[in-house]
Amino acid sequence: MDLATFVQLFVNGLGKGAVYALLALGFVIIFKATEVVNFAHGSLVLVGGYVVYALKDTLGWPAAALVGIVSAALAGLILERGLLANARSADHNSLALLTIGVDVIITEEIVRRVGADIPFIGDPYDSQPIQLAGVTIFRTQAIALVVGAVLITAFFLAFRFSNWGVAMRAQAENKEAAALMGIRSSRVTATAWLVAGALAGVAVLFMATQDFSGAGLGRGTHAIALIAFPAAILGGLDSTAGAIVGGLIVGVTEALTSANVDFLPFLGPEFSKSAVFLVMLVVLVIRPSGLFGTKELSRV
Amino acid sequence: MILRRRAGRSATLAAALASTLVLAACGSTADTPADTAAGAGGVKTDKGVTDTTITLGIMGDTSGVFKNLGAAINAGNQLWADDVNAAGGICDRTIQLEVVDHGYKADTAKTLYPQLEPKILGIVQLLGSPVLAALKQNLIDDNVTAAPASWSSEILNNPNIMMIGTTYDLEVINGLAYLQQEGLLADGATIGHIYIDGEYGGNGLKGSKYYADKHGMTVKEAKITSTDTDLTNIVTGLRGDGVTAIVLTTTPGQTASALAANQALGLNVPVLGNNPTFDPALLQSPAAGALGNLYVAASSPPFSSQTPKAAAVAKAYKEAYPGAPLNAGTNVGYVEGLVWQNVLTKACENGDMTRAGIQTALTSLTAVDTEDLVGELDYSSPGAPPTRGVYIAKVDPAAEGGVTEVATVFTAPEAESYKAPFQEG
Repeated sequence: MDLATFVQLFVNGLGKGAVYALLALGFVIIFKATEVVNFAHGSLVLVGGYVVYALKDTLGWPAAALVGIVSAALAGLILERGLLANARSADHNSLALLTIGVDVIITEEIVRRVGADIPFIGDPYDSQPIQLAGVTIFRTQAIALVVGAVLITAFFLAFRFSNWGVAMRAQAENKEAAALMGIRSSRVTATAWLVAGALAGVAVLFMATQDFSGAGLGRGTHAIALIAFPAAILGGLDSTAGAIVGGLIVGVTEALTSANVDFLPFLGPEFSKSAVFLVMLVVLVIRPSGLFGTKELSRV
Repeated sequence: MILRRRAGRSATLAAALASTLVLAACGSTADTPADTAAGAGGVKTDKGVTDTTITLGIMGDTSGVFKNLGAAINAGNQLWADDVNAAGGICDRTIQLEVVDHGYKADTAKTLYPQLEPKILGIVQLLGSPVLAALKQNLIDDNVTAAPASWSSEILNNPNIMMIGTTYDLEVINGLAYLQQEGLLADGATIGHIYIDGEYGGNGLKGSKYYADKHGMTVKEAKITSTDTDLTNIVTGLRGDGVTAIVLTTTPGQTASALAANQALGLNVPVLGNNPTFDPALLQSPAAGALGNLYVAASSPPFSSQTPKAAAVAKAYKEAYPGAPLNAGTNVGYVEGLVWQNVLTKACENGDMTRAGIQTALTSLTAVDTEDLVGELDYSSPGAPPTRGVYIAKVDPAAEGGVTEVATVFTAPEAESYKAPFQEG
């Protein structure tokens, strides 16, 4: 592989990684607050995307995008308040399974509604590449990178300094002690779902584009959301920083392995899907809690 | 409780027995001499033919992923039937079409087929490789002759398949020959071929490998799955390999991604696609501005073709179906009908319009003329594609159907010498 190809693939991967990071961050926030793995994240992505698709012709793209993000956030909140909050005493694994059920229902309904349209929703920036020093930068990915950086920084600041951030960290550390200190668990949890939903709503604006996925909103979008899973896991399911690093690793790994590689003929497009999971396995073998995850300590 | 359970069990048993009987009944009907009868004009008939009508089936897709193309093919079939009936029918019988929609789902097709099969003589259009694969044995068992809207030479070992036009491997061979003839490709070049894993992609790849072998070219292969959508990284890799042309045996969505990347990455090489790679709907996608490098090789002329018969079919289509999507499906559907017309006429002359009679008539045809809706067809060599010629069309947003014809039907010397997988001799 020559240098120009390597650089181009790296840039392609970095842009995708930013979106994976946004998605992975959503998983991590919910896991940190509730210890529930949210398998319905892909369907929150679709909810946001569908609203944008349905409204962009009447409201215009910016307003539709905003309503889409809010809708995805509300969908997260409704899911938590309506279903999970009622089953608080249930085992975390049961709740995770519940999210799978919800995911199937929402996804199928949206796929049915979209039908054979497969709409693209990145109107203002899609398919307008920028040439920079011999490297092609896809505008969608470039904007995703900037938006991702801004949102992630904002999230970290909130996590560090806001009352909600402190409360959430306290709850993640020790739920009982946090409750005894007067932290309202339900509010922390609900906010976590709201934020995760909003991040999904932002991510989909970049996902259902020619630049990012080559496909409009549909089953494929949902499948991409699940690629963020290995990102969250290899970063460490309870580490927000890990989600970012994990997202970027997944994006770059996928890009670098999906081109033909002459000296390693077994690599290539067929290998790229397994490559991401292979990297995840290698990381988990060396660090079972992920790159930045908290080690599970138990007293014997 | 026990009683109810017993009742349930006996109901299940009854249902099982009943379905066995139905299955046995279905199985025994095919090719049974007792079913054949001499009809009007002393013509022998069995299924799907009465004294006044000949019924042919359509197993199309008007609700699934190929609904636009599928609707146009169905319309082409119907336009043909209307023309035949207006001219007095075939063998003093009118053509009736029995249409089912499987939505490009093999399991749906599998349940629709047994309902359709007893009513029809043969199938004028069977859309989709997965559907064809699922029904392969049914067609053989029931001796139903079917014209597939699917063009792999790997299915030519099935004698009940009546291929209309040429196959994916030959589309690629002719297409590459065209690019070379136009000076867009040179001997010794490196070309990329992105193809879907499976029968469709594999068959297209055979074509590029054969052509490359004849011209000292190197093929950089990139195998993808039908659900992949983003080919940017693959095209980036091909750019690094120094390819001067790319061949696509992909879905329309994948075509758009490859062409968008071809342009965005500054590669801008000519791209050759098999006939299913283009859909006029792509001209409404964000990749619309990048499609200009795409050449499509197909057995049938594009919708906007000036070939007299194609132009007549296009005109009739626009009159009969105002506002319907314009694509190459209309010509595909019409020519399927035309070939059936030749077969039915021959079978009538032979005095045998049974399913077996259709097979005999088909294999005796050596020069079916379709007024250039596909090249001249020869069905006398089992396993060999009946014709080897293609049209080349180039993307043109101004043209009806989104592509304009740049080469009328031709057969390259390399296509003449190519030996298809099941070709004998």
